[in-house]
Amino acid sequence: MRKRFVLLFAIAALAAAQTPPQGQPAQSLKGVVRLNKAPVSNSVLAVKLPRAVERKLANGAKLLVVESHRVPTITFRMTIPSGDLRDPEGLPGVATATAALIQLGTKTRSAKDIADAAADLGATVAINVGAENGFVAVSALTENFDAALAILTDELLNPTFPQDELDKWKTRQRAAIEQSKSQPGSLANERLMKVLYPGDARRFTRPTVESLGKITRDDLIAHYKKYYVPSGEWAGIAGDITPQQAVAKLDKALGEWKGGPMERAALPLPAPIAEKKVYLIPRPNSVQTMLFVANLAIDRTSPDYIPCMVLNQVLGAGPSSRLFRNIREEKGYTYGIGSFFSASHTLNYFGANTSVRTEVTEPALAELLKEFGDIRDRAVPAGELDDAKSAIVASFVLGLERSGSVLGSWMTQREYGFPEDYWDTYAAKVSAVTADDIQRVAKKYIPLGNVQIIAVGDASKIGELLKKFGPVEEAPPDAN
Amino acid sequence: MKPFVAVLLAATGMAFAQQAPSKLPPVKFTDTTLDNGLRVIIAEDHFAPVYGIAVSYKVGSRDERQGRTGFAHLFEHMMFKGSENVGPGEHFYLVFTKGGSMNGTTNNDRTVYFEVMPKNQLDLGLFMEADRMHSLAITKDNLENQRQAVKEERRLGVDNQPYGQTFEKMDELVYDNFAYHHSVIGSMADLDAASVADVQQFFKTYYAPNNAVLALAGDLDTKETLAKVKKYFGAIPRQEAPKPVDLSEPEKKEERRYKIDDKLARVPRIDMAYRIPAVTDADGVALSVATSILGGGQSSRLYQKLVKEKEVAVQVFCGVDGRAGPSKFQVIALVRPGKNPQDVENLITEEIAKLNAEPVTDRELQRARTGIRRGMVTSRESALNTAITLADDTALFNDPNRINTASEKRLAVTAADIQKAAQKYLRTANRVVVVSIPAGAPPAAPPPAPKLEK
Repeated sequence: MRKRFVLLFAIAALAAAQTPPQGQPAQSLKGVVRLNKAPVSNSVLAVKLPRAVERKLANGAKLLVVESHRVPTITFRMTIPSGDLRDPEGLPGVATATAALIQLGTKTRSAKDIADAAADLGATVAINVGAENGFVAVSALTENFDAALAILTDELLNPTFPQDELDKWKTRQRAAIEQSKSQPGSLANERLMKVLYPGDARRFTRPTVESLGKITRDDLIAHYKKYYVPSGEWAGIAGDITPQQAVAKLDKALGEWKGGPMERAALPLPAPIAEKKVYLIPRPNSVQTMLFVANLAIDRTSPDYIPCMVLNQVLGAGPSSRLFRNIREEKGYTYGIGSFFSASHTLNYFGANTSVRTEVTEPALAELLKEFGDIRDRAVPAGELDDAKSAIVASFVLGLERSGSVLGSWMTQREYGFPEDYWDTYAAKVSAVTADDIQRVAKKYIPLGNVQIIAVGDASKIGELLKKFGPVEEAPPDAN
Repeated sequence: MKPFVAVLLAATGMAFAQQAPSKLPPVKFTDTTLDNGLRVIIAEDHFAPVYGIAVSYKVGSRDERQGRTGFAHLFEHMMFKGSENVGPGEHFYLVFTKGGSMNGTTNNDRTVYFEVMPKNQLDLGLFMEADRMHSLAITKDNLENQRQAVKEERRLGVDNQPYGQTFEKMDELVYDNFAYHHSVIGSMADLDAASVADVQQFFKTYYAPNNAVLALAGDLDTKETLAKVKKYFGAIPRQEAPKPVDLSEPEKKEERRYKIDDKLARVPRIDMAYRIPAVTDADGVALSVATSILGGGQSSRLYQKLVKEKEVAVQVFCGVDGRAGPSKFQVIALVRPGKNPQDVENLITEEIAKLNAEPVTDRELQRARTGIRRGMVTSRESALNTAITLADDTALFNDPNRINTASEKRLAVTAADIQKAAQKYLRTANRVVVVSIPAGAPPAAPPPAPKLEK
């Protein structure tokens, strides 16, 4: 079998500083005892991400190709300018409804015909929208890819937006809204977005009962005409296909699809909220409290992005992080806990979340905030910092197994206009982050005096104690 | 024989010749048993510089005794709390900070531990798996600590979730034999009762090399890897083999029904399960293919009938809970608020009856097969996935080559096989129905849907 990746045993500064030699005395790290007896390799297996080939499509879209013949499948995806942020004010759900309905009827196929055709091919043909962008995607076995792509073509060029399908879709959405009110994660997330982005479309994570009553077929058609355009968008294809085949197939299938380019949906990136606040979402009969602790932070293009990634690795990314070691492993308050930066063009927040039994809500929240304070106030010790950087750099190879994930990395680089060598120099940039850098970004982005706390649980048991963490506002599920 | 292909092509005006199905090369592996009884499976795959390692122990919740439910899984947590040369928590700390990922998981039949790491950390993975197989360090503090984490896991997955009790109630009604009658997560009372002595005995009985399978897949050299395996695992002593568990179930004589007043749910749900044979049984395989025809995706019979045509349900699911012993054929439907759960149940019953009365169509069968082939291909894109499959298939079925044959068996299922298996097992007397109703909800006869708006 052919080797696909250039391997380098990069020993550089990072690796040299990395692991303690064997036989050192046991060291303690909160929640972990290190005996340092297991044999570890001190080198970091550095890899160069295989380059994507760039081409232009006849419809004006830009195409990236990652060829890989490991398995006989092909995955195609492409951005479209649709997205929740394009919803007219007061009508959340138009973009979501358009994406759903475009797959539920064309001039020659009913909704069932479309579902049957995709199922016959064992293919995934999907159109989805997120906040900023929409995606069209086709994934199939190599021999079924052309026919699967033809279904997408039909949906994009000949949608009919049947009224009866829209009515049925609304029925299902109403049930989904009702069901989401029983789920702590949905309740917390919906409230969080309202807290962080109260003034624009970002505050909605789904259509509302009210907007479902108002959305019409004409809204969908208008949205489709304006935002389902290819020119200027990024497309990517990965798997069992050459760049030449890819261009030929996509031009044949999508050459007639015209329009664009469309300007990016721009929204202001708000600064962190200044005042501490607690939002209590009563969920009767809960035996746990779900906690979401957050505030606004950085977008994806921020120069602080990489130091923030290292900071988060130390604080809350996975089982080797402080939050997990302390609050799960040492205290036993939870089954899982983590933190993250949600950073894109229009999302810019930091958050940590966990579910803890009702009785330990107070100490768990206090301990979580203590960890926030600690990483702001004290420099991360050298060994722990090296381990965090190593976790990020050395895990790079795991992403090489799937061509789709390699493509994803290049789509990110292009999407944000990062330099061509962005991934080649990523490891070096991570390695260069210092304890001072982490402390600087921690003070800036890890909320403490201005923390926003969302708590979903039994209000009769946690209502009082939450007051110790800030002014409490009750936010019932049905107000979401 | 393929009228639908013609329709499709005419409709789109774009004719594509259906090409011959692409072939996937079989997974090649070596199969070695060490002197201490440890079975070692190694599969080279040099696509990316990573390797996956999995150790599957032949112990699951089926091996638990009364009063100690949840123990196999609680024990799994103890495996991360340190051994002679690896400190508590050091296992996951090392795996993640060296760029890898790891986890462990317990089901009714087995417990498997796994890591995926850069290939230069081969010694690390082998050493740590061997160390905990050899010398797990069990202390009262560590047990207490993980007891809390597991109880929290139970709250998260069961006690604080809508329909959380539904799964447990279903197993209690489908299975009479204690082995499968209780849940993997176990009861709070039993979790509280587990002692250090229990953990020690469990370790000695089940965590022996002769009761485990080690599988490695990825960018490895088989000979070199096997030498390292012998170095790290060779000295772990063999133990007396545990007694096999009787999984047999008495025949079901009549339908069992149960209603749950669910204090956390806001939408009613119907769960239906038929007890069917093990995943390796020919009828079990045929019924697993039937699930995709009945309830797999938007083209399926149940989605079309319940969600689209009648609009009485908003989601449907159909699948097999496949086990090494008696398994479950499950149908789950989320009832549209305001609709009568009984109507939903009746429609599901009708569709099951149809599966018994008529063979599935060629088109449906062909569709199921294409789905199986795609699933098989996709699963090959991960060395870790290959390692886990090899370890589990060897531990449970004594058949490492099942990774290459299981899909072939599913692809060979015919319409007659499905009908015969359906007639044998999808009978009302062999069925359990659990209806979960939001507590405090008014009995049926609610307002029409749009009026749900406030």
